[in-house]
Amino acid sequence: MGKLINDGIRVDGRRVDELRPYRLEVGVLKNADGSAYIELGKNKIIVAVYGPKEVHPKHLALPDRCVLRCRYHMSPFSTDVRKTPAPSRREIEISKVIREALEPAILVEEYPRTAIDIFLEVLQSDGGSRCAGITAASLALVDAGISMYDLVVACAAGKVDGTMVLDLSDIEDKEGEADMPVAVMPNLNTITLLQLDGVLTHEEFKRGIDLALSGCRKLYEAQRKALMERYFKGGLNQQEEVE
Amino acid sequence: MAVAKRSFIMEHLRKAHMIELLAQGRRLDGRALLDYRPIDIKCNVIQKANGSAQVSLGNTQVIAGVKIEVGAPFPDTPDKGLLVVNAEILPLASPYAEPGPPDEDAIELSRVVDRGVRESDMVDLSKLVLIPGQKVRAIFVDVSVLNVDGNLIDATSYAVVSALLTTKMPELEVTPSGEIKEKDSMIPLPVSKIPVSVTFARIGEAMVVDPDSEEEAVMDARITLTTVDEGHLCAGQKGLAGGLTYEQIMFAAETAKIKGQEIREIIKKAVGSVG
Amino acid sequence: MPEVKRKYVIPGELITEGNYRPLANVVKRGNKFYSTRIGLAEFGQEGVRVIPLSGPYIPRVDDLVIGKIVDYSAFVWEVDINSCFMAYLPAKNVYGRNFTPGQESLVKKFDIGDLIAAVVTAFDRTRDPILSVSGPGLGKITKGEVVKIAPTKVPRLIGKKGSMIRTIESGTGCKLTIGQNGVIVVVGRPEGIIKAVKAIKLVEEEAHLADLTQKVQAMLGVKEVGGQVG
Repeated sequence: MGKLINDGIRVDGRRVDELRPYRLEVGVLKNADGSAYIELGKNKIIVAVYGPKEVHPKHLALPDRCVLRCRYHMSPFSTDVRKTPAPSRREIEISKVIREALEPAILVEEYPRTAIDIFLEVLQSDGGSRCAGITAASLALVDAGISMYDLVVACAAGKVDGTMVLDLSDIEDKEGEADMPVAVMPNLNTITLLQLDGVLTHEEFKRGIDLALSGCRKLYEAQRKALMERYFKGGLNQQEEVE
Repeated sequence: MAVAKRSFIMEHLRKAHMIELLAQGRRLDGRALLDYRPIDIKCNVIQKANGSAQVSLGNTQVIAGVKIEVGAPFPDTPDKGLLVVNAEILPLASPYAEPGPPDEDAIELSRVVDRGVRESDMVDLSKLVLIPGQKVRAIFVDVSVLNVDGNLIDATSYAVVSALLTTKMPELEVTPSGEIKEKDSMIPLPVSKIPVSVTFARIGEAMVVDPDSEEEAVMDARITLTTVDEGHLCAGQKGLAGGLTYEQIMFAAETAKIKGQEIREIIKKAVGSVG
Repeated sequence: MPEVKRKYVIPGELITEGNYRPLANVVKRGNKFYSTRIGLAEFGQEGVRVIPLSGPYIPRVDDLVIGKIVDYSAFVWEVDINSCFMAYLPAKNVYGRNFTPGQESLVKKFDIGDLIAAVVTAFDRTRDPILSVSGPGLGKITKGEVVKIAPTKVPRLIGKKGSMIRTIESGTGCKLTIGQNGVIVVVGRPEGIIKAVKAIKLVEEEAHLADLTQKVQAMLGVKEVGGQVG
């Protein structure tokens, strides 16, 4: 019996395989080409996509595909202790892994000599923000009309008081034994992000991946619903024909 | 003759249309010269912050968060708490915003809004001292601009003011041994005034309030004036390379007082509902 | 009339399986077709394609576009055509084959901020789009109101064989020039322009819903145009 889990119930009342409450919305920023917003637990993250667009300076452009740039940034008021506005080394690394999680899903050869910029801003952070950011960024990319092989959805699993759990909260992240964010392209069954922070046995590792993927499946349904809500409410138009 | 491509170029046809309408006292979006766009203020949107407010002014959207820490005072004001206002125009807010350290526009935005709050004495900094000369409360107000559509100064200012008005911080006590301990209760900031900024754009001979991004693309000069509850001015900033006549400045001062009072009521309503 | 099946899809979703021809916005794996966009998937005799509901304007040769001059050099104008690529209008297209740089200052013909109606004459993966203004109705736009819509909605605004644009023109007394890049110029009397802009915005909002033509007709107070139904 540890202090973070008692009888299979966690500090916030969840079972070991339960996600925190979540909410997704598509198309929240007027200027961006595509945008989305996610809440997961206390996480509040807004994502904007600009592109495809011209690359400045021109010599950075690639002749046969787009340049993909990603910026994960936390607002100074997003954490318990105020964070200085300048990007930290942690944010720079997270920007890189997020980009590498999303790139496999994008048809980059369709946009030669252009750039696609993805901006993630964490307005409030609560553990698992890079996963929540990836889940919202996929929606923003679809909203921008960028061709994709699949969506990308992400969720973290971890070890807390010796038990594998799904979707670590802030306190579980800080005081637990392991943290494992996972991102997947659900229809292609391809994992595009995997990081591990902590010690796990083989069984724990497998259980963690299974848990994370189960969380991803639920969030993928939420992604589909958010897109349908934004684009298809009103139903299928059978009679009208277009050129 | 290369023009910086990283700013918005207004079509001649549309500019001509705008000038025509201004002569008739109207703007492209149908507003009168002294009409603000709809102002929406939501407080307490970031629970982890001591105070917060999300403001939309038309399509301009900003979010402010207040974090309160304990720190050393500035050497030249040992008997006052600290108040720092910082604004960042996020790259996600506009196709013309680039990631990187704040440029001169972002710095001017931060400093103009900071002055409006500081000079008004909205927060009584002398009431934020814990151990004189050693420990005071430090109030950080950070603003993230989420969508740019003109008049960042007013939107940022209303967000900062609304966030400060609804801030709650843990009550602290200083023990006989000089330690600072948190008590159980939450208290508000010592706030006594509500400063309200009003920004004007001069386009040709017309003076309009609350310019949107199309109007900002063609304006010749800008002036922001901040008033406090009694109607006095407490801060001002003229912007851009163009000039303003004496009459235009006096007109702006008069109007800033009237519009300021209208907007003060909007802010009071938004924060009042938070309790 | 060969049967065409339709369904709403998101990227990664399976559209159908079978011996079809892959058309726009689909990826074929074995015999299965997957969408790469959010939109309306159509599959039938002609093949499988997805009509996207969002996305940038990608130029095609022969497209009519309305662009804004944003810069110029001694021999070419740079034109913003609301796409991810900057377009170029060579001075030779306007002044003739014998034009030499420095001979004329380009600003006298088209200045920064001017709007032009042009046709895309060249575009491929290796270079930016090239425009031409030689042709009837092309060149500088000197009057009218400019409206921008999402480029994916342009086909709906034109309508089947031009039915929607004719409905709006006859219902408002205005003339519409619709660029494939989502930029539209409306010319007419002020009251007509206001009605036309409203109708255009309605089409953009409800492009994928049923009874759109009826709604537009109702908004403009017109009856059916030329015997076309729906």
